[in-house]
Amino acid sequence: MSEVVDVSGEVGNFVVKVKKNPRYIDMEKCIACGLCAQKCPRKVDDEFNLGLNQRTSAYIKYGQSVPLKYAIDGETCIYLKRGKCKACEKFCPTSAINFEDQEEIVDLNVGAVILSPGFKPFDPSGFDFYGYGKIPDVVTSLEYERLLSSGGPCMGHLVRPSDHREPKSIAWIQCVGSRNTNRCENGYCSSVCCMYAIKEALVTAEHIAGEGLKQSIFYMDIRSHGKDFDRFYESAKAKGVRFVKARPHTIEAGQDNCGVTMRYAQEDGQVMIEHFDMAVLSIGLEPTTDVKQLADIFKLDLNQYRFAKTSDFSPACSNRPGVYVAGAFQTPKAIPRAVTEASTAAVEATTALIRSRGELTQQKIYPSERSIANEEVRIGVFICSCGINISGIINVDEVARYARSLPHVVHVENNLFSCSADTQEMMAKKIVEHSLNRIIIAACTPRTHEALFQETLQETGLNPYLVEMANIRNQNAWVHQREPEMATAKAKDQVRMAIAKAALSVPIERTKVNVIPKALVIGGGVAGMQTALSLADQNFETVLLEKSDRLGGNAWKVNTTDQGEAIRPYLESLIKRVETHSNIQVLKNASVTSAKGSVGNFSGTVQVNGGQREIAYGVAVLAIGGRESRPEEYLFGQDPRVITHLDLDAMLRDDPASLKKAQSIVFIQCVGSRDERRPYCSRICCTHSVKAVIHLKGLNPKMNVYVLYRDIRTYGEREDLYRKARDLGVLFISYGPERKPAVSLDGKDLTVKTYDPILRMPISIAVDHVVLAAAMEANDSHELTELYKCAANADGFLNEAHPKLRPVDMSVDGLFVAGLCNYPKPLNETIAQAKAAAARAAVILSQTEMTLDAIKSFVTDKCDGCALCLDVCPYRAIKLENYQAANGQGHFRIATDKALCKGCGLCSATCPKGGVYVHGFTMDQLRAQVVAALEDVA
Amino acid sequence: MIAIHVGQLARKLGVHRNTVTNWINSGKLKATATVGKKYLIDKNVFRIFCREYGISENILQELIGNETVPSKGDLPFTQNLNFNSKEVTMSAKPIGSVLVVGGGIAGMQATLDLANSGYFVHLVEKSSGIGGAMAQLDKTFPTNDCAM
Repeated sequence: MSEVVDVSGEVGNFVVKVKKNPRYIDMEKCIACGLCAQKCPRKVDDEFNLGLNQRTSAYIKYGQSVPLKYAIDGETCIYLKRGKCKACEKFCPTSAINFEDQEEIVDLNVGAVILSPGFKPFDPSGFDFYGYGKIPDVVTSLEYERLLSSGGPCMGHLVRPSDHREPKSIAWIQCVGSRNTNRCENGYCSSVCCMYAIKEALVTAEHIAGEGLKQSIFYMDIRSHGKDFDRFYESAKAKGVRFVKARPHTIEAGQDNCGVTMRYAQEDGQVMIEHFDMAVLSIGLEPTTDVKQLADIFKLDLNQYRFAKTSDFSPACSNRPGVYVAGAFQTPKAIPRAVTEASTAAVEATTALIRSRGELTQQKIYPSERSIANEEVRIGVFICSCGINISGIINVDEVARYARSLPHVVHVENNLFSCSADTQEMMAKKIVEHSLNRIIIAACTPRTHEALFQETLQETGLNPYLVEMANIRNQNAWVHQREPEMATAKAKDQVRMAIAKAALSVPIERTKVNVIPKALVIGGGVAGMQTALSLADQNFETVLLEKSDRLGGNAWKVNTTDQGEAIRPYLESLIKRVETHSNIQVLKNASVTSAKGSVGNFSGTVQVNGGQREIAYGVAVLAIGGRESRPEEYLFGQDPRVITHLDLDAMLRDDPASLKKAQSIVFIQCVGSRDERRPYCSRICCTHSVKAVIHLKGLNPKMNVYVLYRDIRTYGEREDLYRKARDLGVLFISYGPERKPAVSLDGKDLTVKTYDPILRMPISIAVDHVVLAAAMEANDSHELTELYKCAANADGFLNEAHPKLRPVDMSVDGLFVAGLCNYPKPLNETIAQAKAAAARAAVILSQTEMTLDAIKSFVTDKCDGCALCLDVCPYRAIKLENYQAANGQGHFRIATDKALCKGCGLCSATCPKGGVYVHGFTMDQLRAQVVAALEDVA
Repeated sequence: MIAIHVGQLARKLGVHRNTVTNWINSGKLKATATVGKKYLIDKNVFRIFCREYGISENILQELIGNETVPSKGDLPFTQNLNFNSKEVTMSAKPIGSVLVVGGGIAGMQATLDLANSGYFVHLVEKSSGIGGAMAQLDKTFPTNDCAM
């Protein structure tokens, strides 16, 4: 509830004035019981659900809100506005309500600032022809998202607003408030709407039961330019989503104000009138309303669309040193890029403040662990009511009474919220008071809360693995709402099972690995160099491997960035800095030949100029790059006038005069991309084409330039280039994969034949040059994926750990990915990803040792080396070793790598003789649990 | 950029230190404050100042000893990569904390990365909870994971 009001100082030492708005609820005291919201009489539109339903003045944003603390909205609260009410204060059980709360200004002394204020969804109510705000069944895409959400106003059961019936036919209208300079000023493409519309169309099918659902998407170009996006698009087509290339111009209300009637012109000019149950406007992303104010406070330059101005070479740096930008504040972007570039901004800040790393942070210190080896089992059971989430269904008192009757149980308690801070304190006291040595929490899921309880145990000196959770909320109260009695019986079963298992729990040691503060970067292109430089600037030693004898990679072959900045000077200075940096060791003609170990502790050999070298490192960044493919069609290789994009860049660089003479040039897009062999979009070719045609038109305005395309994918502010190219008279003619253009040689004359869908007739163009947008492909990563046991997707691009939330980490801990080998991307995104990889790597390298989770597999004496588990282990954490048994006999036996093991238990399940178990889930514990579960049955 | 102490400069010029402070505060002498009562002054600005007020430029020569432009081998700033950007220098030790404005997915990720690599972070969010626009989404493609 705070905002920045003023800033002074400079990088390394800013003073930022932050205004903390009053919350009227004491965060320390609030236990999020929700009584204030229940009793509050004032109802206002819920902005989180975009006004589709109402909330009260005392509110939380959403159920899983962080912090989970209520707030009172000073703008609407009856007491704060009219001086009477205070209902919430009367009912609050912890007296957390504080109407005296005042606005507060605090001065923060910081070394750097990262601005990520986000975006504002475009408001389409100004477009009267779409009827938004007047026709009930016209909603925005974000409202539709809330309609679908189980936490939304219709609890996940999709109904249309007018008559609350399930819609059967839904139309999406793309580019509302994007790519539009007519009624709004948003000339840019918002980059995300095509994909979310397809997602919404597919998710809708999961909501609407039965036959007859019709989803139609009305688009200008489908921009599925991200990794695996085109597959998603194709799968939507296969699942029956209809894609119509048209821009509907009028929406009117249907009969009885339900549904919509839409008019649009087909590509052949025929006007269609169609009825839908609902229309969804795919609204674009705009800068927030206060972006100007923020820019003024920080003295930042904004571009014409009011996004932060940045250079393609430093995409997270604003014009003011020490102030960095992230997210949609810089340009509209999807989640993976926002996450990546947040790490980019983080690394820029850490590089600026490197001399002060670790000065203001502190490590939490826990008391030393108490040994329970000789103690009898003393179990404490804490049963959570979770407000009314659990106690509303399950009779918690009865469960508590029952728990008291079970063996080993010495203390039982019921809490309103077991997870609240005061309960943790109380719990710690009880553990000491009753000398408890096993704790059962009957509450929610360990996924979200186990760590919290483990910490409480640690604070009292107990081993954190002596806590066991029984999930009586998600697995019980939530799913058995109609059978409270049986739910209570099940809760008893769950508690009994947990107790049976916990009685056999033993303290488990968390393994620690030393971190070698050194990084290996594989690939000496821009991505690799930029990563190495960022790491080296943070005082980490870095080894940079390049397989050729020259650093720079593809960047040598490209002339300018998408914003038109010259690449050569940047590249030359980058190479110089990398080669002279005292923390970087550059190895050319080098490749990795072996690798072992795991996060924090890798080692292996590299081959340099034929010789072998041993190296040890804590993390590795894979930046092996990609390349422009060699086309096999359109007479490429048979006629020198048929060239690729990189050939064209070389000609523009070395021999612009010959191009100047050309009368007519045809560009053909998607050559080898988006086909069966490479079912992905190469992302960068559309922008490169429009950039090139503008350049050519500049050389010779009379030149006839044609671009034959499938969808023009100039996402983000690159759309300006597309518009400029059209303004310059470049002709864009679309083609479909079923009717590809043909290039033919007639004597000496080169001719391109294609079908014009608007003229509806074949056309033939005599040309001087044909420029092919050849697909981008990844360099062969086969050897590396074998060495590091990491993975590439079907197209050969190295995979990230999670496509949205961990876009630069790889699935193997300690490995990171950057640049073209991950997916085709323009230079600015490559630089951003490279720096982000450095940020993520620095998180590991800045620790001296890493603590790993203790839930790991371990080998017992029963193992006879049959090696069945080796094949099932998905993390390849098991290897076979020669083992000298106590009686002197040698035999094979497995050994597990604690750093690689994730504790999944597949080995334990596979082993026929109890030779390998997982800590915390031994066969004895599981058996005890099953026996306890079946107690009543038997 | 040269770094000066107010008192030191005052002694060299033969004026009271309050006089120098007044110059700085009134904007007559353009200087930026840093930690430890030190100020940074651009060389050219100081030269112009000397000429305007008839001060011997020798003083400048003496002060150049205090230059703070990083010498070769020092850690350069990332911004230097940006060709058009101004010269960036920092005299005193920087403060090891960062302010992040906005608690959406980008702000949260930046915060975590910073905190995990040894920097104290202040996260400022306008609304009552963090999460931003992503929290409003139902699911995310292509995995159709719950956005929450």
